[in-house]
Amino acid sequence: MIVYIIKRIAAAIATLLVIMAVTFFLMNAIPGSPFLTEKSTPKQIELANAKYGLDKPLIVQFKNYVVNYLKGDLGTSLKMQEGTPVKNIIFHQGKFALSIKLGISALVLAIAVGIPLGCIAAYRRGGALDGFLRVVTTVGVAIPTFVLATLLLILFAVKLEWAPTISGSLTDFRSCVLPVISMSFYYTCYIAKLMRTSMLDAINQDYIRTARAKGVKTRSIVLKHALRNSLIPVITYLGPVIAGIITGSFVIESTFAIPGLGKYYVQCVLSRDYPIIMATTVVLSALVIIMNLVVDVAYKIVDPRISLTTKED
Amino acid sequence: MKEPFAKISPFHVDPEPILEEFDLKDEDFDSASSDEKESMVETHKSVGFWADAFRRFKANTVSMVALFIFIAMLVFAFLGPKLIPYGYAEQFRSAQKLAPMEYSENEQIIRGLEDKCDGYYATVLKPGSLTAVKKGNYFINSDGHIYAFNVAKAWEKVVLIVDNDAENPLVKVKQSDLNEDGTYSEFEAIEYTTEPAADATELKLDTKVFPHVFGTDSAGRDIMARTMYGARVSIIIGLVAAVIVLIIGSIYGSIAGFIGGKVDFVMMRIVELIYSIPEVLIVLLLQVVLKDPLQAWFDAGKSGFALAMKDLGAGIVSIFITFAVLYWVTMARIVRGQVLQLKQQEYVTAATALGASNGRIIRRHLLPNCVGSLVITTCLQIPSAIFLESFLSFLGLGVSAPMASLGSLCSDALETITLYPYRLIFPAIVLTIIVLTLNLVGDGLRDALDPRLKQ
Repeated sequence: MIVYIIKRIAAAIATLLVIMAVTFFLMNAIPGSPFLTEKSTPKQIELANAKYGLDKPLIVQFKNYVVNYLKGDLGTSLKMQEGTPVKNIIFHQGKFALSIKLGISALVLAIAVGIPLGCIAAYRRGGALDGFLRVVTTVGVAIPTFVLATLLLILFAVKLEWAPTISGSLTDFRSCVLPVISMSFYYTCYIAKLMRTSMLDAINQDYIRTARAKGVKTRSIVLKHALRNSLIPVITYLGPVIAGIITGSFVIESTFAIPGLGKYYVQCVLSRDYPIIMATTVVLSALVIIMNLVVDVAYKIVDPRISLTTKED
Repeated sequence: MKEPFAKISPFHVDPEPILEEFDLKDEDFDSASSDEKESMVETHKSVGFWADAFRRFKANTVSMVALFIFIAMLVFAFLGPKLIPYGYAEQFRSAQKLAPMEYSENEQIIRGLEDKCDGYYATVLKPGSLTAVKKGNYFINSDGHIYAFNVAKAWEKVVLIVDNDAENPLVKVKQSDLNEDGTYSEFEAIEYTTEPAADATELKLDTKVFPHVFGTDSAGRDIMARTMYGARVSIIIGLVAAVIVLIIGSIYGSIAGFIGGKVDFVMMRIVELIYSIPEVLIVLLLQVVLKDPLQAWFDAGKSGFALAMKDLGAGIVSIFITFAVLYWVTMARIVRGQVLQLKQQEYVTAATALGASNGRIIRRHLLPNCVGSLVITTCLQIPSAIFLESFLSFLGLGVSAPMASLGSLCSDALETITLYPYRLIFPAIVLTIIVLTLNLVGDGLRDALDPRLKQ
């Protein structure tokens, strides 16, 4: 187990390095310079380049990034908030915390609603509730997030005025509701679908029949025997969910006017603020990679039959 | 005859009564002659892989309905633009910001005339055709021609105007004499007759105003025409991206699975690496990075390929590149898993023994045998590509105007969402239906092609 985790951490560091390299060369391939404005002269651009070390060869610049990151220095912003350390922008201005708050709330909601719904649908297979949930979940995975978010915004914020149109920093409950629901809806539906399928699979196993024959209560059959076995496909899916929720945050943050990291990232890409692009990519990638690792370890806890060390498909 | 039966029957059944009961003679047990073999009647036609899958698919009502709706969407996207008289980039100055089924002022006049005159209002005076037009009602189309409403043939230099109230009910005005506001001073009176012309029914068709079923946008473009066009662009993006993923993923996966060993190890580590990259961050960067170089390449337009790509636009081509770089890994994993199982089969050993090359074994034996999962994964890849494109369009990347995709239509509609919600709703519904039906068809295909997976 420990050997496995160490191996995975080594792989994660290698992955991060590759992501850094890819990001570095991609962002340098974006045409134009961060200092190019209508007023700037070539001389000014040259001076600014020299000041931030952008005149050095690319390979040296990349090496500097890696070395500084190892020291925990994420550089300073070139354009968006010139001169401010990137670390402050990401972590101390509440952007990261905001995105994480949004993402984790959505994730928790998707799990907390999706899994019970899937169980109920499987248990009441063929019933009215199951039919209803099947329609909702099938349609739910076909609606783009931004469409759902906009419709919810129009209906509940503009027409009914139950929630604010600008969610801002998500300080109160009412401003959280719409963004979190629209962010998690797709995943709730997907998890419910997955859960239903795997729960049906589990219910038809022999050990469930044995438990039933022995007179175990329905509730405890589902909760104790079937649930644990049917959770595996759902856990497998959590990796993509976490990556997807970051995707979602780009859309949700701009729809509900939340000043989070996702929205900021898009602005930084468009204005070529290299250090922030790099730092955001690395921070978000690290987050996804760590969460994937957590998911893989969670596997082991749910299903002791899975051996992590000999994991080959 | 007793000997062989006694040998094979573990219960030592006496064969005599059986032979007598069915009236079997000794010669019935001789091997069949070639004549008899030929005349053998096939009682059941042997069912092939596809026929069998199709039979199972047909039995699946939900998937069949979804398939028909999807085909209807294909008709909507590919044949629809030919059926309605509006183009996706055509702007009607008099018909901006119309609600669904609403007519602009000019269109209402024509419709009013239609009802009043039983379609015989306009008569043919000359070769060519003319429609009922009230004084000053004309518009300049995006092609620069002056049209008197829906005249079948464009009058390039001359506008014919009908005005029953005026002294000269029908006049011919030169384009140069026509003022901005549609009034005119120089004209030439035309003799005309009010008798129905021989081709008056045809004229009636000309004067029909096609409704703006989904309304129009702020630039006076018909939203239904744009939705049809956008659906076509989105479906093409989905299909091409899925084919790209299919090609790269199946080649990569089958090579890794077939060769195995160190090659497989290295290839799968690369797959894992790409798999763990949060692709959206890279996709965004790629979109911005690729836009200008692609545009430059298109403008140089040296090869036929570049010109063909130019029609698609830089936004769409960079989506394809993104798929080619990042999204093939799932397909590669699935194909590799299948190939790992299949290469243990005897027919692969037989092919190897007969001296088939690795390439031939992969092409002729392994890939055709994982066609089930290839079809399913490709089918489910289409909606994911359509989703990605709409996501990018939402962020202002993706396709560029006047081109439209369902995603860009939705995102354009967001600016005016509170005033004109239907501008979002129509493309969003079409997008949802396409993705929904593709998902359902994909599920049906999975059940049909791989019945073992079915619950």
